[in-house]
Parts: sequence; C-alpha cells; structure tokens
Amino acid sequence: MYIQALSGDAGFLERLARSNFSGTVHSTFERTINLKCSENGELYTIGNHQLDNAPNTLIIDVKGFSELGLPVNTPVITEDGTLVIGADLRIWIQQAAKWEGVLPSYPCDIEAVEVLRRNVAFTKNYVDEYGKTGGMKMSSQPASPFEKEMSRMLIQRAGMLSNDLANKRIESATQHAISLIGLGPGLTPSGDDFLVGLCSVYKMQNISSCLSCPFFDEIVRSSQALTNEISAITLKKAAHGQVRESLNDLLSCMISGSLEELVPALDKIIRIGSSSGTDILLGILCGLERNLEAGGNVCLPKS
Amino acid sequence: MSTKVVIKQSTYFDSVSLMSLSTKANQIEGVEQAVIAMGTDMNKEVLKNVGLLTPELEAAKTSDLMIVVKAATDELCESALIAIEELFKKKGGSKSATEIKYSTIDSAAASIPEANLAVISVNGAFAAREARKALENDLHVMLFSDNVSIEEEIALKQFAHEKGLLMMGPDCGTAIIGNVALCFGNAVRKGNIGIVGASGTGSQEVSVRIHDFGGGITQLIGTGGRDLSEQVGGIMMLDGIKALEEDEATKVIVLISKPPAASVQEKVLAQVKSCKKPVVVYFIGGEETPVLEAGGHFAKTSKEAAIKAVVLAGANEDELNKRALNWPLIEEVRAKLTPEQKYVRGLFCGGTLCDEAMYLAMDKYEDVYSNIQKKADYKLKNIHESKAHTFLDMGDDDFTNGKPHPMIDPSTRIARFLEEAKDPSVGVILMDFILGFGSHEDPVGVMLPAILEAKANAAKEGRHLEILGYVLGTDLDTPNFDEQVKKLMDAGVTIASSSTNAGLLAREFVAKGE
Repeated sequence: MYIQALSGDAGFLERLARSNFSGTVHSTFERTINLKCSENGELYTIGNHQLDNAPNTLIIDVKGFSELGLPVNTPVITEDGTLVIGADLRIWIQQAAKWEGVLPSYPCDIEAVEVLRRNVAFTKNYVDEYGKTGGMKMSSQPASPFEKEMSRMLIQRAGMLSNDLANKRIESATQHAISLIGLGPGLTPSGDDFLVGLCSVYKMQNISSCLSCPFFDEIVRSSQALTNEISAITLKKAAHGQVRESLNDLLSCMISGSLEELVPALDKIIRIGSSSGTDILLGILCGLERNLEAGGNVCLPKS
Repeated sequence: MSTKVVIKQSTYFDSVSLMSLSTKANQIEGVEQAVIAMGTDMNKEVLKNVGLLTPELEAAKTSDLMIVVKAATDELCESALIAIEELFKKKGGSKSATEIKYSTIDSAAASIPEANLAVISVNGAFAAREARKALENDLHVMLFSDNVSIEEEIALKQFAHEKGLLMMGPDCGTAIIGNVALCFGNAVRKGNIGIVGASGTGSQEVSVRIHDFGGGITQLIGTGGRDLSEQVGGIMMLDGIKALEEDEATKVIVLISKPPAASVQEKVLAQVKSCKKPVVVYFIGGEETPVLEAGGHFAKTSKEAAIKAVVLAGANEDELNKRALNWPLIEEVRAKLTPEQKYVRGLFCGGTLCDEAMYLAMDKYEDVYSNIQKKADYKLKNIHESKAHTFLDMGDDDFTNGKPHPMIDPSTRIARFLEEAKDPSVGVILMDFILGFGSHEDPVGVMLPAILEAKANAAKEGRHLEILGYVLGTDLDTPNFDEQVKKLMDAGVTIASSSTNAGLLAREFVAKGE
C-alpha cells in the first residue's frame, strides 16, 4: 500500500531522504503510530492528516491506522527515500512539505508586553471556563479518590515549582519539576504536559527570566526513568525548544495576536488529548506569568 | 474489601481512551474505585496515598498499564476486571462486529450455504487450488490472483464449464455481479446491458460510459486477459455470452477484448451469430467485416460501444449527448504549441485505456511507440526512454515487477511524468485517473504537486505544456468525480470526457499544418 506524506519535521524528512532510518513499530494508535529508531533510540511519529506538525513527526494522508493492522515490532526501513513499514506499507515523502517549528520571541517593548499581559489574563479566564478537568484542573466531582488525590498532588507540586521560579530558587524548582514527571492520568501524564508548556515559554528567544541549561538537562535526564518513552520524547524536544505547530502558533498569538485570533488557537490546544491540552496551557500560563512578573531583564546569549 | 490488580506490560492507549475507560470502569456496578493509569513512580505514589499500592504495582514499569479495582468482594473485583477487559476489547477492535473470518473456503461455504460466489486473492502458488475448492463447492469464482499457469487456467475453466459455473480470471480485476463491484470497479446504474470483458479497465470504461449515456448494467463478467488466447480458447467469454443470453434482465450484450487469437475470434463470432440478443463487439484494433458478417454490431472505440449498447437497449440516439470532440479547443491548443512540440506522451494506469489511445494515434501517425505495441518495430526497447509518440501502460509487468500497480502507488508515474514534461518535443501529456472501488482514494491529489511543478517549469522556459487528463468514474463513485475533475481543471489540466475523446484530443492537439 502506498501513502503520500503531506508534511514532516525537516530533520526527520532529511533523515528519510538520506535513507538513514531503520527501526521498528513501537506503538500504534488510531491517529498515530510511533516508530523506534534503531540508530539513536528516539521515537518518531507518523500522524494522520488530522494532526498538526510536530518534532520527529511525519503527517501522512490516511484516515486512521487501525485498518492498516500494523503490529508492534514490525520492521521499518528506508528505501530510495521511501519509508517502508512491514511488507505492505510504503510512505512516499518526495512531495512532503518541510516543517521547521520556531518558537516566537518574547516581547521586548512595553506595548508588546501589555498585549501579552492582556492575552494571558484572557487565557486564564478561558481555561477556567473551557479547560478540561481530570488533570491539573481539578474536577468539582472527581471520579475517584485516586483522581482527587492526583489532582491535589499536581496542583500542589506545580504551585511549588511556580513559587520557586518566581523567587529564582532554581535548584528547588528543578526538584519540583522532576516531581511532576510521570504524575497524572493519560498516556502523557499531566505533569509532563504542564512541563512541556512551561519549557516552551522558557525556551523562547529573549525570555525575560532565563532558566539555566541544567534545569532542562535534568528534565530530559529524569524523564528517561520517570515516564513512558512516548511522553519522554515530547518532554525532551520541548526542553530543547521544539514543540508542535499548534503550540508555536498559540505562543505567537499570545504575544502579538488579537483576542479573535487567540480563541481558535486556544481551542485547538484544549482539544489535545483528554486533559493534555489544558495541562499544557496551564504550564504556558505559569511560565508567562512568572516572566511578566520578572519583567525587563533580558537574558544574555551564552558565550 | 478486596483489591485486584492487572498489569498490562508495554501497553499504550491514547489519553482520551484511557480517561474514557477510567470513567467507565468507575461506573461498573459494585466497584468502589477503579484506576487505569501508566505505571510511573509518581502514579504509584498517588496509589500509595489512597491506600491502593500493592507489591505487584510497585514492580510496574513506566511503559506498563496498571489496572486496579477495589470492590466489596473478590467476586465483584473479578467481574469488574472482566468488564474492564471487555471495554478494552471494544476500544481496540476496529472491525465490524458482523464481519466473520473463515480460514478455509470449505468452512466458509459450509457456514454460508446461500453463498454462490467466491472472490479469491491469494498468492499465485495457491490460487488454483483455492479456486478448485470453490468450484467443488458449487461457487462461481472470481480469481483476482495472477501468476497462475495457463495449464491451470484451462483446467479450472473446463471444470467450471462442466459444472455450469463462471470461472472469472485468473488475473481478473473487474466484475460487477448483482450490482456489486468486485475488486476494481465503478458505481454504475443497474440496467439491461450485460458486459463480458477480457480487459479490466476497458470493461470499467464501457460500463462508465453506459452509465454516462443514461444506461445501466445487469452483470459485468470478467474473463481474465488470457481467455481469448489460442490455448484457453475463450472458454469464459463463450460461457459469459451464454449466461447473459439466458439472463432475462439482459437485453443487450457487449464484448470487450484486445484482439483475440484468430481461431478464438471465429468461435466467439460464431456464438454471436447464434445469440438471440444483440451483441456489440469491441475488440480493440479489430476489424469490422467479420463482426458484421456474424450479425454483431461493430464498435471501433469504447465510446462507440457504449453508445451502440444504450441505443440497442432502448435509448433514443437523437437525445443522447454524445460529447462531440471540441474542435475550437483543439485549435486553441494547437496555437499554443511550438512547431517542435509535436509528440504525445501517454502515461496510463489502465492498460486498455492506453491501448485505445495508442490505436487512435496509430490511425494518424506512423511513429507510435509503446511497451505494449504489437508491431515489433515500434515496441520500446528501453521502456525508460520515450521515442516520438509514446504510450505507456504503467500497470504492465514491465513497470510493476516488484512494485504496486500505479492505480495504488503512483510514484513511478509521477517520476516519469516529470521527466516527460522536460522534453521540449512534447506537446501533450495524457494521463488517466481511475476512480471507484479498489482504486487510490485520491488519484488526482497525489499527482497534483507534480503537475503544478511541471507546468511552472515549462512556463519558466516560455513553453506551453498541455496536460490532458481523463477521469474514469461516475457521479456515484468515491472519491467524488466532480471534485477530482475540478482539482485537475484548477491546476490547468484539460479534461477529456471519455477514454476515446482523450485519445482523439491528444492526437489532434499535436497535429501540424492542417
């Protein structure tokens, strides 16, 4: 079976074009399959056309993956710039649009900061109103004591992390960030999603309150042991400033967009996963609020 | 209180499914608490805080799925776990609940006594054996598989003939039986015209044109491409004619084939002569006289075959929109082409569509090359290099050896198209786009980027590149016919209304000095 790739992460496409990819099917879902690369051990994702571009991801023209019946551990190779999965599925990449996600720059003048401040306030209200419960946002009627306790722990730990960031206690902040990894329901635990949102803010250029490299390095290192491989690769990429297209778009809207532009961008994030989108938004809000409070200072590029 | 635990190793469900399962699990009667979560250290900490952590859960890995149930009794826990397992099965199962799989033809035939037809698509090495089993079970057979020896084909067809059964194939890609298209086929209206076809896309084209002219189909019986060879002797075409003659709903019969072996043509035309129903004969590149002598209705093209069939079936010829050739368009395109742009390059998915366009070009030009040419001098020696007018059947074994058919995997055709588009001697590139059951879900869409690229490159060189497209499909087909046509037109592609018109337009576009 032949399937056309519509777009893909530029690095992934280059790798495929060089026929430099082999591995196995790691996990399969209706809208995505994950491949484990034997060269670098990283996970790469093949998503259907309903998904947005993301790091290590190829978007292909297919309705769903269940009907393809690809079992876990199916071998994956590249052949003449074509990704070949098992005996039957060939993904042709020559016409795929290259995508390179770039986080926007944090605003550096007062007027722009005011736009951001307005958009942050609006987003807080929007999440209160429309955000999904079950993770970072506690339900008024949790389904079980487990869910109630989980939300309590998430909120408490995220609060301590936020407090440390506000007071520049980076070592303690690092420990509280680690305490969130792997915490929560869903395939990507809520704590991980929160950190993805937080990292995306702190990885913006010209961010006013800079976080040192060890903070991100420790998140990457700890995620290997504390969460599943699918969530760990997302965290790793976010810690390097690489996030999905809809998240880049949202941050651009937060920084310079009108409220009319912001609403659809927020809706798109809220629709991610079960509570994942809401958890990511809460991480973004935490990061932006801490930076708005810090104000003014510009992080100097590292020599 | 009782607590039961299940660990599913290396198991991933997406977040929405997990949350939904968790919610449903907590609603199972008798369950005090149910947890479904990934086995991370932090989630184990939550379990500990709510008093649910067990040594088994302690040992779970981050890639494991933890299922914990707390209920009043062991029995309630067990039944809840069974109910949760059912929820997982429902989540994982994507097949229709009514779909039943049988591992052998014998068991399928025994379980479905009302079945009367088997479609067989297995490795060629086993295909004949399975087909024989089906015939032994009194099932008509459509044998999609190829790589079946001609000796096996003859034996199967003789056996089927003796039993009064149809043996369609091997390598039979198209049939419409009881208004159901099998393998590759189009959604066409039910009517009173029956077709027996030894060529798949030719049969598709005639059925689609019949639909277009307001007619409809009773049955489309495929025979397989070798049926009219000397060795096989047209066993299935003869039986097909007989079956349609006996079918009350069929008023007119259409025969489609590439030119048969002479002795087989005699046998077929003898049967046409004795047939009580009108028979339209479209043998591509065939001669008119023997058909007329047999009392048949000769058709030179697929379009003519369809028109004659619908008229014989009762349509008023004067009221038909025959979709006459658009001569003003031809003049317009001729004016855009430079004197050196004098060749047609046809890149086809459909073998018969290629054949038809090639024969129409041969009526006008000498230098018509192809990978399926019957004239040895004009058969391409190197199929990767075009010469003069070139018509390629890209579904032929030359191109598909070890690769999927271009109706499924268009990559070979895209690459060849981009090459042809660079040639300054090319005036028009002709391509077919086949819709319907079994075909690519968006045959136009996958070709569009290459079309746009080729057009832009030609424009940069100050050259007009005429791309002529033919979409084989009906208004009832999937993907949507009008949308496919619109995509092509938006990309600057000229559309032909039939396979016949596609061939005629292509040859006329490049005609010089007339």
